[in-house]
Amino acid sequence: MKILIIEDETELAKSVAEYLSEENYLCEFAFTFYEAMYKIETFQYDCIILDIMLPDGNGLKILEELKKQNKQDGVIIVSAKNALEDKIKGLQLGADDYLTKPFHLSELMARIYSIIRRKQFNNSNIISQNELQIDLLAKTVSVNNEIIALTKKEFDLLIYFIGNKNKVISKSTLAEHLSGDFADMLDNHDFVYAHVKNLKKKLNDAGCDRYLKTVYGTGYKWENS
Amino acid sequence: MKPLLNKTTKPFIIYVLIILVISVPIYYLVVDAIWKHELDEHNEIVAKKTAFQINSLKLSDQKLLETIKLWNEVQPTTNIQNVEKNDNFKDSIFIIEKPHDFLHFEEIDRFRCLSKIIYLNKKPYRFNIETNIEESQETIFFISLTTVILFILIVGGLLILNSRLSKSVWKPFRETLDKLKTFSLNNETKIEFSPTDVAEFDELNQSLGKLIEHNISVYKTQKEFTENASHELQTPLAILKNKLDILLQNEDLTEKQYHIAEEMNRALSRSSRINKNLLLLAKIENNQFDNSEINFDELLNQSMEILQEHFEQKNISVHSEISSPVKVSGNIGLTEVLINNLILNAIRHTPANGSIGIKLSQSIFEISNSGTEKLNPDLLFKRFSRFSKDNNGSGLGLAIVKEICKSQNWTIDYQFGNN
Repeated sequence: MKILIIEDETELAKSVAEYLSEENYLCEFAFTFYEAMYKIETFQYDCIILDIMLPDGNGLKILEELKKQNKQDGVIIVSAKNALEDKIKGLQLGADDYLTKPFHLSELMARIYSIIRRKQFNNSNIISQNELQIDLLAKTVSVNNEIIALTKKEFDLLIYFIGNKNKVISKSTLAEHLSGDFADMLDNHDFVYAHVKNLKKKLNDAGCDRYLKTVYGTGYKWENS
Repeated sequence: MKPLLNKTTKPFIIYVLIILVISVPIYYLVVDAIWKHELDEHNEIVAKKTAFQINSLKLSDQKLLETIKLWNEVQPTTNIQNVEKNDNFKDSIFIIEKPHDFLHFEEIDRFRCLSKIIYLNKKPYRFNIETNIEESQETIFFISLTTVILFILIVGGLLILNSRLSKSVWKPFRETLDKLKTFSLNNETKIEFSPTDVAEFDELNQSLGKLIEHNISVYKTQKEFTENASHELQTPLAILKNKLDILLQNEDLTEKQYHIAEEMNRALSRSSRINKNLLLLAKIENNQFDNSEINFDELLNQSMEILQEHFEQKNISVHSEISSPVKVSGNIGLTEVLINNLILNAIRHTPANGSIGIKLSQSIFEISNSGTEKLNPDLLFKRFSRFSKDNNGSGLGLAIVKEICKSQNWTIDYQFGNN
């Protein structure tokens, strides 16, 4: 999978690349607007991570260029601005997702995963891992061909874990994913524990292997060897 | 507060009063001196004229004595006498006060007298003349009366003139004042003062114009600073966050180190939350949100659904009375933030197994929760003022609620009651 990271902050770009590289993602960088323009014209990427606030140009122009050239690359906009107008404009210009800085790498990776899945498997988007099958379009999960009923949050968590295979995800990261902006306003993150416990139980009861491991007491990891 | 006019008029009137009071004795002395001088001259002339005319008759000595006698009888205010033996032959001027010789009522009159040696047929005679002069008290009385009348005229005129003039003279000042009253830094609109031909007001307007311009630019810079600072902070926060995510993937990580990283992560989330909230406050203050018609009850129900699990987790019973539909004018995003902040705040500050009441009517949205002590309503909505010991909040939640209310022209209040 080829990913282009358009980001003027080298440290940020490097972190993203490092996190992604372990999972078959091949990352390339563009640190300036012109570098980015050159790369999108020349190469094809599965997903582009686009910081729209570049020192030498507006990232939204890159998006316009992609659309003009009729390129099918998936695009996630990353911005320090949490401005609704930018978000709407970006999505209208054909971006697939919008993420506000600061974000967790696991969040970014989960989103990249679902964008690539969506782009590549338009009609039947089914993730399989041994006895487990997830239909991303129908939003159903089945173990050994038997559908199990998950709540919206449990399904959401499952996709998040699948998108972050073999990565340690902390409870607070999951809390931020599940409750968005106001996670840190909550006294404790025990609700995460409750959701994960229910998900684990439902999968195990249906005969699914224990892919979801608890690590360091409060962290989680989806293992897929 | 006294109007400016009173401040200038009062000392002015006092000054006029003092001057007029002093003027009374001065006038008296001047008038009296003129009187005396004129009368002395008059007396002198009469004496000389009398001597001249009697001498020009060229009377015999016998005839002269008869004439003098007759003179003394018909001219009551003058008399001619033989020179006494011990006379020092000097002229004298003096004042006497006595009743009139020819009037019978007891009125004392004041006379200016001249006693002079005149020569008739070359023989010396003492000529006495007395001329009525105005009495001192009468002079003083009339001068005082005039002064009082003048004083009344000056004060009355001054007051009328002042009130008329102040209306026209202070008009540009009042216009400036009215414009200043409507001025708000938030709007960032400069005030255009109407031109005036009064130098002081023109200077005032120009200085105010400069001051306002300066203030607007300082305010702008400050607001931009908040926004820029928040934006600039997002990037290092993002780097920190990402590095921690990478750190968690390290296979040599011990459980202890993991927990340290997790604590750091939580602190980091809080700082980015504070940062985001400061940015939101700056944006609200900058009026960067548009209002539209929104369904408050729908937003409230949505928010309650999302937060349902958090009620359950603390085993909080929720009593809600929500009217529907409740349409208000406001910004959807901000209203969501307002509802979420209020409900989350209630969840955080309600003890486990407590209760939360949520009421929505056409004009009031009320959230109540069980608590133990009254909070200080003055500090409650202030930035970074905390009441509870837990330090997880950003300290900005209720400040944001208040700013949102302000920006949408709603009011917010806190009450503590016994049920």
